[in-house]
Amino acid sequence: MVLKLDLDGTVHHLTILARRPHLVVSVDGRRHVVQGLDEAGDGSRQLTVDGEPLAFARAGSADGVIVRLDGRSFALRRLDAAAEASAAGGGANVVRAPMPGTVIVVHKRVGDSVQRGETIVTIESMKLQMKLDAPRDGEIAEIAAREGEGFDKDAVLARLAAPAEG
Amino acid sequence: MSRLQSSINTASADFRRNEAHNRRLVAEFRAKQEAARHSRPQRDLDRLARQQKMPQRKRIEMLLDPGTPFLELSSLAANMAYGGESPSASSIVGIGMVSGREVMIRADDPTVKGGAWYPLTVKKIVRALDIAMENRLPVVHLCDSAGGFLQLQSELFPDRYMGGRIFRNQSLLSKMGVKQLALVFGHCTAGGAYIPGLSDYSVIVRGTGAVFLGGPPLVKAATGEDVTVEELGGAEMHTSVSGTCDYPADSEEHAIEIGRDIVSQWDRLPRWEAQRETPEEPFYDPAEIYGIVPDDIKKAFDMREIIARIVDGSRFHEYKPNYGTTLVCGFANIWGFKVGILANNGVLFNDSSIKGAHFIELCNQNNTPLVFLQNITGYMVGREYERRGITKDGAKMIMAQSCSRVPKFTVMCNGSFGAGNYGMCGRAFDGRFLFSWPNHQIGVMGGDQAANTLAEVKANQMKRNGGAVDQSEIDRLWEETRKAYQEQLSAYHSTSELWDDGIIDPLDTRNALGVAISASLNAPLGPPGYGVFRF
Repeated sequence: MVLKLDLDGTVHHLTILARRPHLVVSVDGRRHVVQGLDEAGDGSRQLTVDGEPLAFARAGSADGVIVRLDGRSFALRRLDAAAEASAAGGGANVVRAPMPGTVIVVHKRVGDSVQRGETIVTIESMKLQMKLDAPRDGEIAEIAAREGEGFDKDAVLARLAAPAEG
Repeated sequence: MSRLQSSINTASADFRRNEAHNRRLVAEFRAKQEAARHSRPQRDLDRLARQQKMPQRKRIEMLLDPGTPFLELSSLAANMAYGGESPSASSIVGIGMVSGREVMIRADDPTVKGGAWYPLTVKKIVRALDIAMENRLPVVHLCDSAGGFLQLQSELFPDRYMGGRIFRNQSLLSKMGVKQLALVFGHCTAGGAYIPGLSDYSVIVRGTGAVFLGGPPLVKAATGEDVTVEELGGAEMHTSVSGTCDYPADSEEHAIEIGRDIVSQWDRLPRWEAQRETPEEPFYDPAEIYGIVPDDIKKAFDMREIIARIVDGSRFHEYKPNYGTTLVCGFANIWGFKVGILANNGVLFNDSSIKGAHFIELCNQNNTPLVFLQNITGYMVGREYERRGITKDGAKMIMAQSCSRVPKFTVMCNGSFGAGNYGMCGRAFDGRFLFSWPNHQIGVMGGDQAANTLAEVKANQMKRNGGAVDQSEIDRLWEETRKAYQEQLSAYHSTSELWDDGIIDPLDTRNALGVAISASLNAPLGPPGYGVFRF
């Protein structure tokens, strides 16, 4: 399995090649032998990488690990494959009705610029009011929704202008 | 498992408005709960002091292991019944630790009509014993009751789930090897006498404790015999002559001490080994739930934001995240216990129903308890959905859910309307525990819908009978119906009737589920299997 790690904003790929007799890892295609993880009494740790001794300290943070090494601190975070995949979705140009219903409020007008997640229309269906949000940052090109009017499933209620090139 | 990413803006106007609204609801709930627990007429408190009895909550406090949690159930039972004269349905029920064992504690309330059982008291006791049976929890009864409230006997005596059910459940518990102890602090009259009678162990307090089928006034009326309470059913008589009780105690404190010693003798039945990891507090602040749940039941919200504030480390492994998105399914830990969560993010469609049914099967295969977070207005209606078989897909979910062998827990986070209540493990589906938030509403339909339907029927009736439609009459009917309906929809009505195991502050959800899941592990899992799924 390949672990994706974010080190101070740069993504690195790490694969464990062997665990015994020594830990062997490949980091971004380069092979390293890691040996002897020792813990000193003062909380600092020591290991050897490719024969070179390396002293460091680590602490857990809200969403990863902070590593202190050579007088510098590094923020290390493991990237989750599933979460990344779902975050990458979206980006469509249209806001479609997820189900038949009625338009309650139209929040934006043609020409308004919106940010991803900003509400464009509020609809009601099955006694439930739902907000339909902008799928990406952009400018409103068309609003088909009229307050008080009904619509069918998959009807286009709003459209964003195509993103400008460059 | 990765951490959920919250997208809540705690500085937004929506958040603040919701927060103010929900904090007001919780304050109202706390005030009602406080009154039900402690507010009693002075003369009743004086009588208790004269009898040298401890208040019932003091007894429970002394019984529990110090520093351990007590999960009180249905603290507002009967709050809308009997003109409010039976707080907590005159009975305290909850789960706590006694001598290192998880036990069900059930206590009569002598400060209300001498501890008499109202119909809802009986319902609450039966429910407590059902919980004890389903979860194999030993029971400690703290007895102090005058018996059934005679004016309402027809509502508490004859039917299947009324008085007799208490004693039937007591008998079956004993047969299952689940122990019961009765501590007799006051009178156990008539049916109440069978509580110590059917408990495996009993302790009775000298001077105040008494057990008899008929008290002195009834004996006098029936046979003319003059007899004192002490002679008829006191501690000395029952522990040395009749053998109805086992241990005499010199005081209430003494009785509790003997009781704790008895419980410490009990064997520990093997617990079911669920998957467990080291517990971790949620990463996101649970208090933010107040700002997330909207101030209007009609407004939708993302249930992942709630999950993130209940589960360990706010970590959630979402199952099928891009399919049937109106039902959020996934694995998480609560107090270290692995659970499968099903949470509503809108109306149930065909795909969300099938996904739910499949996820329930996965949890049963994986021996993972199920947690249902309800906010549901129903299954989708309309021609397209009927043609796709919304009824049979909903039926799949109900089938999988009903036949689950893993323990189920339900939290009513907001609305629960129509058949969605069924699929999401409503009260009828034998979840081990069901808790409601104060904002919860439940009904076949919403108040507006019911009023509209009835107004329409009335208008048609008027047309048939004379032609003219009296609009003011229609409006009056609409308003009346909506008001009556609204009251019935409320969480307070629900909990009054014991349609749940109590209203809880949303902030206590994680702790309540932790105690409930732990309690559920005392019972082994049933055999796997389902009925016929309609495909």
